[in-house]
Amino acid sequence: MLEISDLATSYGKIEALRGVSLQARSGEVTCLLGPNGAGKSTLMLTLAGILRPQRGSVRFEGRELVGQTPAAIVSRGMALVPENRLVFPALTVRENLLAGAFKRRDAAGIRSDIDAMFGRFPRLSERVDQLAGTLSGGEQQMLAVARALMSRPRLLLMDEPSVGLAPIVVAEIFSIIRQLHREGVSIFLVEQNAHMALQVAQHFYLMEQGRVSFSGTPGELADDDVIQRAYLGQRKAA
Amino acid sequence: MLDVVQLLLDGLLDGAGYALVGLGLSLTFGGLKRLNLAYGATAMLAAYVGAWLHIRHQAPAWLVALTVVASAALIGLYVERLCFGLPRDESTQPRGAPIAGADGREVVALASSFAIWMQLEQLAVNLLPRHLNAFPSLAAEGQWMVAMDVFGSVSGVAGGELMLRPDRLALAVMTVLLTLGLARWLERSRAGLAWRAVADHRVAAHLVGMPVSRLQALGFAAACALSGVAAFAMLSLDAQVTPMFGMWVLLKGLVAAILGGLGSVRGVLWGGLLLGVVESLAQSWLGALAREFATYALLFIVLVAPWRASGRSAL
Repeated sequence: MLEISDLATSYGKIEALRGVSLQARSGEVTCLLGPNGAGKSTLMLTLAGILRPQRGSVRFEGRELVGQTPAAIVSRGMALVPENRLVFPALTVRENLLAGAFKRRDAAGIRSDIDAMFGRFPRLSERVDQLAGTLSGGEQQMLAVARALMSRPRLLLMDEPSVGLAPIVVAEIFSIIRQLHREGVSIFLVEQNAHMALQVAQHFYLMEQGRVSFSGTPGELADDDVIQRAYLGQRKAA
Repeated sequence: MLDVVQLLLDGLLDGAGYALVGLGLSLTFGGLKRLNLAYGATAMLAAYVGAWLHIRHQAPAWLVALTVVASAALIGLYVERLCFGLPRDESTQPRGAPIAGADGREVVALASSFAIWMQLEQLAVNLLPRHLNAFPSLAAEGQWMVAMDVFGSVSGVAGGELMLRPDRLALAVMTVLLTLGLARWLERSRAGLAWRAVADHRVAAHLVGMPVSRLQALGFAAACALSGVAAFAMLSLDAQVTPMFGMWVLLKGLVAAILGGLGSVRGVLWGGLLLGVVESLAQSWLGALAREFATYALLFIVLVAPWRASGRSAL
């Protein structure tokens, strides 16, 4: 579904991605692990068209995305839930959802999708007319997910949805990821929380210093010594 | 008593004019969080193009009005590209900056729009070098004189008469409708939502698929078109235009916009009216010099006032 090959993105002279290649399959949850500064968020912003890569290609459902505007990428069916949520703080919860549906023109469909979001995220339905900036971190994360879903993406990109949230909220976010997966939404997830990611993802990549250094299934991930030490805290050392 | 009513009335009518010239300025600031110092000069050059048509080619008032509004919008596009246009993607920003807001471009926009102010003003003066230039007057046309007679007879208040120019009243009504209509449109329409979303968070606006650069250019041009509406309306009251007009638009518009909370569309209406009333009372009680002084005193009080609301983003 998503094929990334030899993708390189720089900030000025700093090379954040140094030729990244990976794939996300349709109907699966694919998870990218990696330490801070590995280039995970740079990759996500490049996929969404916010950053422009120096070289490489991103093919989504067979079509090239590099060079496309963020708007065109949303229209193709890919939406990003960015790191730190990035909700519209001065807009209400409902307006945030409406903004998420900006590329759609089916007013009735948008209305019923908003109702569906409130069914999926009951906490948001209690705060329809509240400004998004006044929501708690967990509520903002749910709003960010709901806003991305409003564009009806076939592939949902999620950049560290659990960061900075209480464990109970993290569990809630991951149960939403599982639910979306069951409903057939493909998900490409960036996480630092390997324990949680192990429960939802079917395929893993590890990224270090702008390169992919590991690719495998959850079983292979759990068996890898290095990953165990760095991400799983040697719990299963045997 | 009647004097005070007359003063308040004059102040409100003047104030509506201030609100009208401040409207586009506040809209631009609300959307871009950047101050357009070339705003007054844009209105002035557009007015000069209209005056030039009027003087050299005897163009009718409606054509002058259209020309002034269209010129202001075009000049606005020029100013936006030069001073406020941002790169199509955010990747040229320094590391981490796409998420953060302030990046020094405010200062660049401010300084370059100041330079463009000088350029536009010079263009206008080259177009019509005389200090005083004729401008089409709507008040001199038939239907307005009739309206004036009607008002003269109905506005009689016990013991005296209030003076009321119907053209000024019409301008005030237009300002109120335009301001409230614009605020409502920003709140209710899809395009209004997009404008507010871009103002609120550029990266997030990109992520939901909004054409951020295009929205910004269009919004900027629309705000400048509003300055053209204001210019035509104000100048047709006096039937003349001078090179001082640009400075006047920027100064009064900016004070009205700041009083109402810079960036707030409804606020600029209240800010303009407040400024008009304070000026009118100050002039009457303390003399003509106090009029300008009152403007700055009011601005000073609002800027240092401990009760001022900070960080609001209401319309």
